[in-house]
Amino acid sequence: MAILSLVDVKKNFGITEIIRGVSLDIVEGEKHAIIGPNGAGKSTLFHLISGRYNVTAGNIRFKEEHIENKPPYEIARMGLARSFQVTNIFSRMSVFENIRCALFWSMDYGYSFWHLLGRQTELNDAAMHVLEQIGLTDKAKFPSGELAYAQQRALELGIAIASGAELIMLDEPVAGMSHSEAQNTVELIRKITEGKTLIMVEHDMNIVFDVADRISVLVYGEIIATDSPENIRANPKVQEAYLGEVPSA
Amino acid sequence: MALLKNSSIWIAFLVTLLGLPLVFDSILAISIMNQIAIAIVFALSYNMLLGQGGMLSFGHAVYFGLGGFLSVHALILIEFETMVFSILWIPLIGGVFGLLAGVFIGSFSTHKAGTVFAMISLGIGELIAASSLIFSSFFGGEAGISGDRTFGPTFFGFDFAQNIEIYYVAAVWAFIATVFMYLFTQTPAGRMANAVRDNPERAEFVGYSSRKVRFISFCASGLFAGIAGGLFALNYEFITEENLNAATSGRVLLMAYIGGLGYFIGPIIGAVVLTLMNSLLSNYSELWMLYLGIMFLLTVMFLPRGFAGFFMMHQLAWIRGNMKMLIKPYIITGIPAVLFAVCVIALIEMSHTEDEVFHYLALELNPASPITWIVLLGIAGGAFYAVKRSLLQLNDAWETANAIPKEEEA
Amino acid sequence: MLEVLIFATLNGLVTGFLLFMLASGLTLIFSMMGVLNFAHASFYMLGAYFAYSLSLYFGFWTGLIFAPIVVGVLGAMVERYGLRRVHQSGHVAELVFTFGLAFLIEESIQFFWGRDTKNYQTPELLDFPLFTLLGQEFSAYRGFMMTISIGIFIGLYYVLTKSRVGIIIQAAITHPQTVSNLGHNVPLIFMGVFGMGTALAGLAGVIAGPVLTTFPGMATVLGSIVFVIVVIGGLGSLAGAFIASLLIGLLQSYAIASDVGMPDLLNLLGVSFERGHPLNDLWTMNLPQIAPVLPYLLLVLVLIFRPTGLMGKREE
Repeated sequence: MAILSLVDVKKNFGITEIIRGVSLDIVEGEKHAIIGPNGAGKSTLFHLISGRYNVTAGNIRFKEEHIENKPPYEIARMGLARSFQVTNIFSRMSVFENIRCALFWSMDYGYSFWHLLGRQTELNDAAMHVLEQIGLTDKAKFPSGELAYAQQRALELGIAIASGAELIMLDEPVAGMSHSEAQNTVELIRKITEGKTLIMVEHDMNIVFDVADRISVLVYGEIIATDSPENIRANPKVQEAYLGEVPSA
Repeated sequence: MALLKNSSIWIAFLVTLLGLPLVFDSILAISIMNQIAIAIVFALSYNMLLGQGGMLSFGHAVYFGLGGFLSVHALILIEFETMVFSILWIPLIGGVFGLLAGVFIGSFSTHKAGTVFAMISLGIGELIAASSLIFSSFFGGEAGISGDRTFGPTFFGFDFAQNIEIYYVAAVWAFIATVFMYLFTQTPAGRMANAVRDNPERAEFVGYSSRKVRFISFCASGLFAGIAGGLFALNYEFITEENLNAATSGRVLLMAYIGGLGYFIGPIIGAVVLTLMNSLLSNYSELWMLYLGIMFLLTVMFLPRGFAGFFMMHQLAWIRGNMKMLIKPYIITGIPAVLFAVCVIALIEMSHTEDEVFHYLALELNPASPITWIVLLGIAGGAFYAVKRSLLQLNDAWETANAIPKEEEA
Repeated sequence: MLEVLIFATLNGLVTGFLLFMLASGLTLIFSMMGVLNFAHASFYMLGAYFAYSLSLYFGFWTGLIFAPIVVGVLGAMVERYGLRRVHQSGHVAELVFTFGLAFLIEESIQFFWGRDTKNYQTPELLDFPLFTLLGQEFSAYRGFMMTISIGIFIGLYYVLTKSRVGIIIQAAITHPQTVSNLGHNVPLIFMGVFGMGTALAGLAGVIAGPVLTTFPGMATVLGSIVFVIVVIGGLGSLAGAFIASLLIGLLQSYAIASDVGMPDLLNLLGVSFERGHPLNDLWTMNLPQIAPVLPYLLLVLVLIFRPTGLMGKREE
């Protein structure tokens, strides 16, 4: 069953069409990668799904409910979480506070100004547990803005997964990392998305073919193919768009 | 519980508040302490907006002033026995009205932070200040309105005719307000205010409407500003348009900024320092506002996190036990710096005096003689040069004191 | 009635063009550097005071030329040694810095010139009525003010659209990063624009000083209004600032000139209230009384319903 489905989604900026009619079904539990050359509109597509941009036309349903043009916070509350390509954290707060903020809503605190955080053992334990998962336990009190790049990326992931969302969208999670850092991050992604649906934009083809169950190829605002990694590799249209970029192995 | 962990600080705070009149019991001291208590609440409420929530307001006096006006009206109602209750509750009336004003104005102004919010706050501030002069039956025009705090039921025999009695009322209210404002920072709403300040966009992706988070901080801030206004009404028994106009809004911004935004204690420091300067310096020099302006600009330029930020900068050196490495360089830079400031102030004051002999500190200076000027300028120049030279040394000492020890790095 | 309308229009235009001299500099500075200069009207005040002091010794015309230059140099120095440093601490710090600067300039003016109103006179050369219409005089000095401001407006338009510097500035308004990447010295441009903007404000002060009186509060009187204009016009839009300047100038002038009030409106509607009514102030309000409030009301309404202003594109 499709947990997320896009029907003929379009997005224009002024007269420029960035997304030109994307239809896509994401099956519950799958690991789906979106690839494509620079400027294809991958990040824009993420922004449309997560509510940062309004769609120009078309509709998006998450768990059978229309979410196009809903504000991001409503979509997030439904169980759709995302990370950002450029690190996007609460930079003046500690690592622990970053994660705790990501947990509030899912743990039913809402806009409470009557719960004292020091007393919320369950919440604080949950935050520590997430820190453990992303390997930042010893940096809990560290100001997040001063973390090393790879650690900030880990925190970025942590904020996305903290709430226990069913659908997780990661925008280039290993961009700018060294090979070994990227390997660790892939392991981390595998671990934390277990039993969940994952949509990922990534440029590193090794990682894409390693992680994804299915791959969609986005070129100039259109999806030219959605298929299993093997078939995508063999697809002549994809090879044309990706001349020389697909590993032959 | 976070509060309990720091309970000794809170007890110390309360004891200080209540004990001060035993040490300083002159009429002037009591009056200054009253002002400090009011300023602390007001500045902390401002910090809820700017420091905690990232909303730069140029119209915060609106909530202070409206709370104050309602409080004076309440005093008048008590005086004419339309209502009968102890004046102890007056600040609450100010607070409730500040909250209502916050709910109303916040409902449309918290949509955006940044420049848009700043401009709306400025516009509303000017709008209400100007309107208050039009609606003179409520605001009393230029003269303002006044009441009398001695009419309500007495409280264990106290009728609050004395300033010292009001000081205790103000101190208790200031303590309660401070505790609640601190507790607010320890709640999900308070923490999300920080998150929205840092990154409103990401806050939306963890399930929070930035606007609603700002709105809650805004209302809470209005509540406490109103309480401060109520305390003002109790202390002075009158209030005028001046208490809700741009000048008052500017003053609270100065307090919070000089004290240090983002640190809970910052605005308290700012409130104390500025109120003391206001009350004490104004006795010695009519130019104190000029000094205040200079001090403010220097703070913005060189201590962007205020006095509190300056102290907190030393946390790392303190933890590492390296503070003693800094003492000597601080003294070496500090002495010429103070000397420079003393000379500059002397020059400024001298150019403004009309007396034959100008008394300055323990000195008697002759403003008419060019030698005085040359000597002062010379000392100032030399001191400035010494500060510049020794700053390098201070910088080095700072680097060493904060350097990461070798073993820790590995 | 007709002469009231004509003179209100003329006076409104004089004020409007004067406001634009301030608003244009403020808009340029905001567009380039992203900072709303709270002290902008303070430079206007400095212009008036410098010109006053110069006029005492060398006459009005020397002041007219040199006071704006001095103000501009001062402005450039403020940018170079103050604002540039604060820039690292973010926009809030910059805004707060200019706020403090406005405070300091006002205090400094009281320090150097005292608190009293200065007797800054219009030059004798222009001390005659330009024309008399239906018994009312329009002074030559007002005509001179209008000429100068329109001249500045045309000059500014020419520089911004035709000259090389102007084109770089235009580009820097919309794409500051790109301009910097193209190898232009952006800090220098910033300093120049800040200097020019403050010099314009200074010039406005020089010509407004004799008419609007030269006193330490003159920056406060005009400062918030100029802010209102820049915001209503749309932050960063010169055309918007121009329209809003004239709009506010005319609006205030008409409101002051008319003596219409709530009583007239109520009479028209056939409603009446007793004097003792609790909302008496509301029923007896008239337009001249609420004239000072109008710009702020407009500001708040514009910001709520159209946060980008009349012609603005950027919000932050």
